[in-house]
Amino acid sequence: MKVARFVAALWLCGSATVIAAPQDEPPAPAAEVPPVEPPPEEQAPDGEQASDEAAADAAALDAEIASQELSGDAQVRLDAARDAVVQIRGFFHKSETSAFHGSGFAVDDGRRIVTNYHVVAQAVLHPRQYRLEYLASDGRTGPLHILAIDVRNDLAVVAAEDLELPPLRLRSEIPAQGERAWSIGFPLNLGLTITEGVANGLVEDSIVQRIHYTGAINGGMSGGPALDTRGRVYGVNVSVVSGRQLVGFIVPARHIPPLLARVREPMDLSLSAQQLRQRVTAQVLAYEAEVLETQPDPAATQSVQGYALPTQISPHVECSTVDESSPHVLVGVDTVSCWIPALIRVQQGVHVAGLSMRHRVLQSEGLHPLQFERQVNRLAAAPRRTGSAAHVSPFACRDALVSLDGFDARISTCVRQYRLFAGLYDFDVTVVSIDDEHQALVSRLALQGVSFDTGKKTMERYLGALQWRP
Amino acid sequence: MLVEQVGMQGQAVLRQRFAGAGTECRVGRDLGCDIVVDDEHAAPQHALLTLLEDGRVNVRDLGTRNGTRVDGKLVPADAGAIIEQGEIIVGTTRLRVRTRHVPIGTERVFRREFVRRHRTLLATAGVLACAGFGAFVQWLDAPSSMLRSVTKGGLVACGLIALWSGLWALTTKLNQGTWRVRLHVTIASIGAALCAWGYWVVGLVSFTAQWPELVHIGIAAIGVAVLAALYLHLREATHYRRRMTFALAGAATLVIGAVAWIIAIGVDDGDVNRVNLGPEVRLGAARFVPNRDISDYLAGVDELRLAAARERQKSLLNAPLADADD
Repeated sequence: MKVARFVAALWLCGSATVIAAPQDEPPAPAAEVPPVEPPPEEQAPDGEQASDEAAADAAALDAEIASQELSGDAQVRLDAARDAVVQIRGFFHKSETSAFHGSGFAVDDGRRIVTNYHVVAQAVLHPRQYRLEYLASDGRTGPLHILAIDVRNDLAVVAAEDLELPPLRLRSEIPAQGERAWSIGFPLNLGLTITEGVANGLVEDSIVQRIHYTGAINGGMSGGPALDTRGRVYGVNVSVVSGRQLVGFIVPARHIPPLLARVREPMDLSLSAQQLRQRVTAQVLAYEAEVLETQPDPAATQSVQGYALPTQISPHVECSTVDESSPHVLVGVDTVSCWIPALIRVQQGVHVAGLSMRHRVLQSEGLHPLQFERQVNRLAAAPRRTGSAAHVSPFACRDALVSLDGFDARISTCVRQYRLFAGLYDFDVTVVSIDDEHQALVSRLALQGVSFDTGKKTMERYLGALQWRP
Repeated sequence: MLVEQVGMQGQAVLRQRFAGAGTECRVGRDLGCDIVVDDEHAAPQHALLTLLEDGRVNVRDLGTRNGTRVDGKLVPADAGAIIEQGEIIVGTTRLRVRTRHVPIGTERVFRREFVRRHRTLLATAGVLACAGFGAFVQWLDAPSSMLRSVTKGGLVACGLIALWSGLWALTTKLNQGTWRVRLHVTIASIGAALCAWGYWVVGLVSFTAQWPELVHIGIAAIGVAVLAALYLHLREATHYRRRMTFALAGAATLVIGAVAWIIAIGVDDGDVNRVNLGPEVRLGAARFVPNRDISDYLAGVDELRLAAARERQKSLLNAPLADADD
C-alpha cells in the first residue's frame, strides 16, 4: 500500500555519527571496467512540465549535451558532480561536532545550493539553537543561510556568501520507468558516495510528487542530487522505506526552478526565523486547502447496516473495508477506514495535513443492552492518539448529544493546537449513536495539522454526511 | 470531686471519688499517696488536690522539678490553682478532675442501637450488596465463562470486605477485648456498597441529565460515606471520644482523597493525547435526553479555538519553546 510506504518512510537526515572517512580520495576503480553502454533513448517530455520556459531550457540543454554523454561508469559520474556537491551540517549552539547532516548541490549560477527542507528544518524553526555549515569537496567550510523553503516538496535553497561551485544542470521531465539513475550524497557521514539504481517513474496517486527509485539511499544522502544517464539532476534524494529493500523516493527536479525563481537577485540572506516559520505554516495551509477542502460532488458514502457513512469527503481520500477483529464474540463489527496520509513533514517527528476516518457499526448478537453499551463505550474510548508534548498542547473538548440525520448521537470534539505553529490544529471527533440497544455506530474523524477553519469545515462535511436510512 | 486517670486514648483507666470539705488527694509515685502513678517523670510526692468548702478544688505542686500543669498551664509553686474542672498533668500522666459545679446533661441516645441489634441481618445484606456489585461489574463485560467471572467478582468483593473488617476486628480486640466482627462487617460492607452502587447510579443519572458536574457531587458523597464508615469503625474499635474520632476519621478521609486525587492528576495532567469524551454513552438513554441541533453544536465548537489557545498558552508557560520569538 502506497500510503503505508510513505508513512513508514525513514527520513534521510542523518544523526550525528562522526565516522571519519577519507573524503578527498576518489573511490577505488573497479577491477573490471564495464564496457561503456550506449545511452538509452531520450524520452519525450511527458507533458507535466513546470513551465514553457523550463521546457525550452530542457530542450536546449538536451541539444547541448547530446554530444557529451557520460559513460555508464559511476566513477565518471561522481567525478563530474564532485565539486558541485556539498555536505550540509547542522550544529547545536557552539558545538564543534555536527548534530545532523545532509547533502546539497549547486544549481543555477553556482551560488545557490538545493537541499531538502527536512535537512535544514531544525535551523529554520530554531535559528538560535542551530546553525548550518557547508563542507565543500575541497575542504572549505562556511556558514549557510536559508533563502527559500518548499515544505510540500521538501525542498530548500540555501547559500553561502562567498561560495560559488560548478552548478549541476536540471532535468525537468520525469525519467522513464527503468532508466538507469545514480544518487549522490554523504550516507551516514561516510564521505561522498554514489549509488546506482533504476528510476521507476512517479509514484501513482500520491498527493505529493515523488519518483520511485530502486537503489540504495541512506540517512545523510538527503538533499543530494539524483542523476540521469547524462549527468543531469532529475531529482533530489528525499526518503527511503525503512526495513525494505532499496525502495527510495526522489523529489522531481521540476519543483526546483519555481523555488529558485523566488530567490532571484539580490540575494536576501536576512530572512528572520519568524518569517520562515510563517512560510512553513502558510505553505501547509495552501497544501491542505487543495487537498482537504476540495469536495467531490456529491460526497461519496458507503452504506453499512442502514448507516450512510462518508468516505470520499475529499478526492484524495483512500478507503478500505477493514476486517477488524471484534471486541467481543457477541458483537459484530463492520469497519470502513478512510484516510489522507499526513505527508508534509514540518519538523522532526511532526507530519501534518493528514486525515483519517474510521466508521464502525457494531451489532449486538444477544448481549444485554447494558453489556452492549459497555462494549460500545470501550471501543469509543479506545483509539490511541499519538503526539508528543514537545510539539502539541493538550486537547480542549466539547461534548453533547446531537440529533443527526436519522439518528441521535453523542459527539465529542477535541481540538489541540501546535506549540510551534499556532495556525495548525489537531481535530479529534468521535460520534457514537445512542438510540438503538442492539446496534451502534462508533465513528471517528481525526485531522492532523490543519487550520481551524479547514478543520471545522471538514468536520461539518463529515457530520452532515452521516445518515441513518433503514 | 471525681479524679480519673486518663489512658492513651482518652478513656478513664482509674476513677476515684473524694467527698467532704478539706479532703485531700495526694498524687505521686509514693505508695502512701491517694493516687499512685507509675510514671518516672513524677515525683514521689508530686501534687496535692484539696476539696474546698465551696466544692472547688485547690491544686498545689509539692515543689517538684517538672512541676504540675492544669489545662496546660504550670501551677505556681507558692499559690496553687483553684479549679472547678480540668486536666491535671503530673509528669506525663493525665488526670481529669470534675466537681459538683460541673453541670451534667441528660443522657445521649445510643443511635447505633439499631445496628447493634440487627447486625447479623445488616452484615449479610451489606456483604451481598458488595458481592453483587463485584459480580455485576464482571457480568457487564459479558465474559465468555460467565459463571467463573461472576463468581470471581463476588469472591474478590467478599475477600476485600473480610480483610478490611478483620483488621478492624483485631484492633477492637486489642483495645476493647471483644472482636465485634459483625459490626465491622456491617460498617465496611454497607459503606462499600453505597460507594460502588452510588457511583454507578450517579454516572447513569449524570448522563441522563446531561450534567457532568453531577459526577463531582457523587464523588463528594462518596467522600462523606468514607468519612462516616471510618468514624463508625473507630468508635467501635477505640476509646477515643467523639470529637477526637471525628478528627481522626476526617484526617484519614482527607489523606485517602488526596492520594486518589494525586493519582488521578498524575495520570491526566499534561497528557497531550488524553481526550475527555464526557460521560459514558448510555444507549437507550436518548428518550430521556433532549438533543441539541447540529448547528447549535457546531456553533459551540467555535469556542474550542479559544479553549485550545488557552491550553497552548498553558503549555508554553509550563515548557517554553526554545527561541520561540525573535
